[in-house]
Amino acid sequence: MKGSLRSVEVAFTQLATRPPDLWGFSLTGVFTRYLDQGSKQVTWLQGALGSATALTKVASEVGDTDMELGLLRMTGPKLQAAQFGTLLLATWVDFLHLADAVLRHCSMCSAEKLFVDLHRVQGLMEPTLTDLASLDPERVEAATTAMPELMGKLTREFDTLQRETRETLKLSGQVIAAMQAVEMVAMISTMKRALPRVPPSAPVTLGVGLVMSSGGVMVGSRLVVSAEWVERMRRLVQAGVISVPAVGAAVLIHGGQVTMAQAHQDLPKGVRDALGDSPEVRGMQVTGRAGAGMSDAPKHHVLPQEHREWFERRGFKGDMDIDNFCVRMEQAHHEAIHGGGNWKRGRTWPGEWNRMIMEVLHDAETKAGRMLTRNEILDIVAVTMERYYIPMIFVLGRSR
Amino acid sequence: MTAGHPWDGHWKARLYERVRERGYESLTAFAEAHPTASLVKLAAELGEGEIAGVQVFSGLVAEAERSKQLTRLVRGQLVRELAECLPSGWPRVLDDANRFKVAKALGLWTGFTPETHKERVRRVGDALLANPPPAGWRPLSPDDELLQTLLPDEEA
Repeated sequence: MKGSLRSVEVAFTQLATRPPDLWGFSLTGVFTRYLDQGSKQVTWLQGALGSATALTKVASEVGDTDMELGLLRMTGPKLQAAQFGTLLLATWVDFLHLADAVLRHCSMCSAEKLFVDLHRVQGLMEPTLTDLASLDPERVEAATTAMPELMGKLTREFDTLQRETRETLKLSGQVIAAMQAVEMVAMISTMKRALPRVPPSAPVTLGVGLVMSSGGVMVGSRLVVSAEWVERMRRLVQAGVISVPAVGAAVLIHGGQVTMAQAHQDLPKGVRDALGDSPEVRGMQVTGRAGAGMSDAPKHHVLPQEHREWFERRGFKGDMDIDNFCVRMEQAHHEAIHGGGNWKRGRTWPGEWNRMIMEVLHDAETKAGRMLTRNEILDIVAVTMERYYIPMIFVLGRSR
Repeated sequence: MTAGHPWDGHWKARLYERVRERGYESLTAFAEAHPTASLVKLAAELGEGEIAGVQVFSGLVAEAERSKQLTRLVRGQLVRELAECLPSGWPRVLDDANRFKVAKALGLWTGFTPETHKERVRRVGDALLANPPPAGWRPLSPDDELLQTLLPDEEA
């Protein structure tokens, strides 16, 4: 499990470091802002990967198995965000390359129109990038689900821009070299790699040509997903680290199914089966979302906010800030838990969560004769959460 | 009565229904039949996913208050905490890692003790650290001799 997570991480790291290498072309002047947009994104992507790695490390050090999984689950959204953020960024690099080729080789092409085109493309990508950059598990999930559709739109934009340029070049009878420069960009494009073809305008039935073979899932003759990849994704999904929709979005994008993804977010059954989308995995998804309607349930800090500084002094900072340890809970459950079960003779045993957890931690610290470490605190918190039947599915909460 | 979640519906009624189904007259009798099981284990035994450990504890406190057996319950809770945190008994050497395990057990014990007994529990914890019990000490019930010496019944 940890091994496969690490290999996913390595893949992401390689992806994340690739975009800057491609800044070979230089775009200057008014177009600089579009370059800056890219560099800014690289910063948060690297941050997301860094914190995912840090969390994985902490997870491996915490003794409690449920807490380990809870922490690993926290890395999921960061990895998902990094994966899809990198894909978007690579796509953006393609647009910049195309723009660069156009600016350099097509004197007839309008720089103003290009500027407007890029602005529109940026507008398409911006909301998704913002959601991904938030690293909030729920926003990342929504953005991930919308990715195939967005990639479809971007592919069409790219295709249109390329076609228009080609026509302008033809019109002005520019030299072959210029044509080639534009074609070259299209050749090396990420979208070319991710998407085998520009989606045809005629609707294709989703899943046509998708067959399961021992070697993996095939789209026609094109191997999209290797057996190893499926296995890795299956394990991550089962552990609740990443969600089935996220894997689905990746398969849809890489399978060039983007046009259809507007209508269907579902994966072809073959892929679902391969991923192990069995009732148990789906059940786990439901638990992950903590049941239908739970995504609206209020969030609550597990580590009491009024003691934020106490936790900060013990290492709950940055990615491990107490805001990262929130749980969604239905109002009724929350009240019941805060009332310690509201047993009639509650006065003899308040059991109120905040008071109880701080008391346990303070007493443990007194008895240990030293400050508890962050991992020791998580270890104790895991035990108490289990006693209160609070699932270790953490969401990002807001500080008061 | 089944529930999808321990905090759904009338959990107290559900708790007692499960206790009776298993042939016990009281929650205390059920818990004493499993003296070293953790609260979470007791809850799972009664109804996996239907009852929370803290609910079992809450019920045990209420029963002990009525029967004036609170001190016995408190001793019993330390038995459960020690079984969970120090499964092979009191450590031979109290190095940093072992000291944490002891501290964790004692901290949890305070948290899961009725208000009336907290101060006594804290003193017992200090006494255990000041005069450690023999290595491997592993009380198996509230009747453990050393435990009774440290925290004798007052109600009787």
